[in-house]
Amino acid sequence: MASANDARYGQKDSAEQNFDYMFKVLIIGNSSVGKTSFLFRYADDSFTPAFVSTVGIDFKVKTIYRNDKRIKLQIWDTAGQERYRTITTAYYRGAMGFILMYDITNEDSFNAVQDWSTQIKTYSWDNAQVLLVGNKCDMEDERVVAGQRGRQLSEQLGFEFFEASAKDNINVKQTFERLVDVICERMSENLESADPSMTGNKLGPELSEQPQRSHKDCAC
Amino acid sequence: MTDTMFGSENEQWVCPNDRQLMLRAKLHTGWSIHTFQSERQRKAQALEKRELDLIMSVIHRAEQLELIEQHRIGRLVERLDNMRSSAMGNGLSQCLLCGEVFGLLGSSSVLCLDCCMKVCTKCGIETTAGGQKRTQWLCKICSEQREVWKRSGAWFYKALPKHIRPIKDSILDNRKPVIERGEQLPVARSAPISYTWAQSRVYLSESDGSDAELSECSSDRKTFASETNQRRDSESSGGQVQTPQSSFTSPTRGNVHIESPSSLVSEQSSSSSFNPGLEDEVIDHSRTLLTPPALSRAGSLRSSSTSQKSEGPQADANRDEDDLDQAFGATALVASKKEEEPDVEGYDSDDSTTLGTLDFSLLYDQENNALHCTINKAKLPVPRYKKGLKPMDHNGLSDPYVKLHLLPGASKANKLRTKTLRNTLNPVWSETLTYYGITDEDMVRKTLRISVCDEDKFRHNEFIGETRIPLKKLKPNQTKNFSNCLEKQLPIDKTDDKSLEERGRIMISLKYSSQKSGLVVGIIRCAHLAAMDANGFSDPYVKTYLKPDENKKSKHKTAVKKKTLNPEFNEEFFYEIKYADLSKKTLEVTVWDYDIGKSNDFIGGVSLGINASGERLKHWFDCLKNKDKKIERWHTLTNELPGSGYND
Repeated sequence: MASANDARYGQKDSAEQNFDYMFKVLIIGNSSVGKTSFLFRYADDSFTPAFVSTVGIDFKVKTIYRNDKRIKLQIWDTAGQERYRTITTAYYRGAMGFILMYDITNEDSFNAVQDWSTQIKTYSWDNAQVLLVGNKCDMEDERVVAGQRGRQLSEQLGFEFFEASAKDNINVKQTFERLVDVICERMSENLESADPSMTGNKLGPELSEQPQRSHKDCAC
Repeated sequence: MTDTMFGSENEQWVCPNDRQLMLRAKLHTGWSIHTFQSERQRKAQALEKRELDLIMSVIHRAEQLELIEQHRIGRLVERLDNMRSSAMGNGLSQCLLCGEVFGLLGSSSVLCLDCCMKVCTKCGIETTAGGQKRTQWLCKICSEQREVWKRSGAWFYKALPKHIRPIKDSILDNRKPVIERGEQLPVARSAPISYTWAQSRVYLSESDGSDAELSECSSDRKTFASETNQRRDSESSGGQVQTPQSSFTSPTRGNVHIESPSSLVSEQSSSSSFNPGLEDEVIDHSRTLLTPPALSRAGSLRSSSTSQKSEGPQADANRDEDDLDQAFGATALVASKKEEEPDVEGYDSDDSTTLGTLDFSLLYDQENNALHCTINKAKLPVPRYKKGLKPMDHNGLSDPYVKLHLLPGASKANKLRTKTLRNTLNPVWSETLTYYGITDEDMVRKTLRISVCDEDKFRHNEFIGETRIPLKKLKPNQTKNFSNCLEKQLPIDKTDDKSLEERGRIMISLKYSSQKSGLVVGIIRCAHLAAMDANGFSDPYVKTYLKPDENKKSKHKTAVKKKTLNPEFNEEFFYEIKYADLSKKTLEVTVWDYDIGKSNDFIGGVSLGINASGERLKHWFDCLKNKDKKIERWHTLTNELPGSGYND
């Protein structure tokens, strides 16, 4: 079947469907906490110290191999400034996972986590998974938010928690891999818990199929 | 952001004032919400074109990725449908997929967990479901179903592929097999699809009545329904969103998800929208929901505009058809109706002066018995709509010409006509028309009628106005100028027509020659003869008799003049007779139309003698009293002659 598919759709189509799942992920948080640097570190493994404010929205695509499955990630980077809020919130609905980021050297960005959490609940699907990430953990001397405070807040909000550094490439890959894992777990749970409704919904086509099958018997 | 916190504060926090004040102090926004809102409003308006271009390029890139993803999902659904359609067994005594018969001699069967059908161990897949230790089986179809569910993201968007996928696949442009399959599946599954659409319609009517009237495809309708449902659940749960079990949502909401940012970008640049609070954000979210219906409404406006354009040529074609019908109808009218219709038009006019004016001059040349009519110019009104009638010309102008008649006795012989001037309401003819053979008797009795008409190529000529001049007003050999107002058409006096019908005029000369002892009769010429042929002319010749004549020896004929109503003969005939006997005789002169192969047509005749009257008697007496003197006179031809036969 696989070889038939390859011959049938050609090389490009084969490359395009060379993955099993596609997940859409969104990175949100206050301005200048390091969202874009975090994405560039994970997607391109590069880091730029200079700060350039993101305009509106941007995304990158990366395919990873996780749990014997090829997963294609579409990672959206949003602008943290207030003036782009109406644009960025429009993309919340399509996201399966969120990375809510704050800066451990900036008390305001940590205090805004509660507000960002409210926005996620307002604009996204209820199935979405959220990870709380404290960025710039390499700047220990300028830390103003203790790791324990971040963990307590994430437990209170029901999120997973990581402290990471885009500059030193600390916990960047682990953050995304953990997000993929929790999305896959949610997918499996959804599939199993949906069995009754799935079976119920399948009664329709079966009922419509039976007259067709009996018609075939009559023909025989 | 502070306002957002203020909104959530009411739900979760005990001391809103302290937190609000603390955050404001840290954000350096002062103590006034008004100041904060002004600052936010200013920032919202400052989105530059460069920034919009960047955002649009990202959106375009995302749309391309989305399209590739839709093709991939379509292939997954197609593969699943192929597996499902290739099933051969009944799932009870046979394997659902390969149709192998179960039994003592056959293979063992297992029950599928999802569809409860029996399959052989080759066509089933063993799986461990949940916490149960007992192994569960899935048929390959149901296993593939679950894989499609995972790979397409349907597990997240709460959409079951078998209900949505075929309809979405049918809109793929470059995949014909998918289109064909999409057309088949809705027929097989009409019941659940109808149920799904009914559900979404109910939701739409609940959310907004006007939305239900919009014509949208079913996928978009489901998307709005699901979003509305999502919104309602979020609001009711107060931030703690529960898991909705809706089964009619669609992954095509991704399309709406992509389209909304484009609208938001343009909205951001055109208006000063900002989100001062949670409620405003909710309103903004609702505005996003309504954006695609607006686009749909604009599309319908465009289509209606197109239909209006298409009506234009049809309306013009109908008008042309009306013109043709009127042209055909007009040509079918008989002559009498032509005369009646101008009367109807005349009655419609309120003021006779509005029919225009005509400048002309008349001169009676008594010596030559000629009436010269010079038509100078006219000033005509703009044609206007009468009751139920169309204007005389579409361009608002006329093609006028002038007709002259001598009344009574309206016949073709005494009708004259000017040339037609095109597209003018102020025609200048400067044309002289002459009546010949006008005697002093005619000048006392006759009336000249001058009519102005509008010539039309496709319809009968339109009457504009007329004026009448009694000829007795004119003094001989004096030119008189007229500038008369045109009047509506007067009814023609038919009583005069019943009397002797005039058939033209003839000039005859008489002289009794004493030397020859006989009467010399000269046929000079005729004028305004009646047309007897279809071509509008006659081929006239003249016969003369001196009666009574027992032997018919006095018959004389002139030559035939071809195709003319004003022939010149200039012939003389001699009758030998004594002067004493001449007073008892009567001269008969008749004019005929010569026809080859047919009997000749009688045009008119005149008789001179002691029994004649009027001008003819005077001419006869003058001849008797003045011997050896040639006397020429004009005489009117009439259509009957006492004692004269019509035989040639």
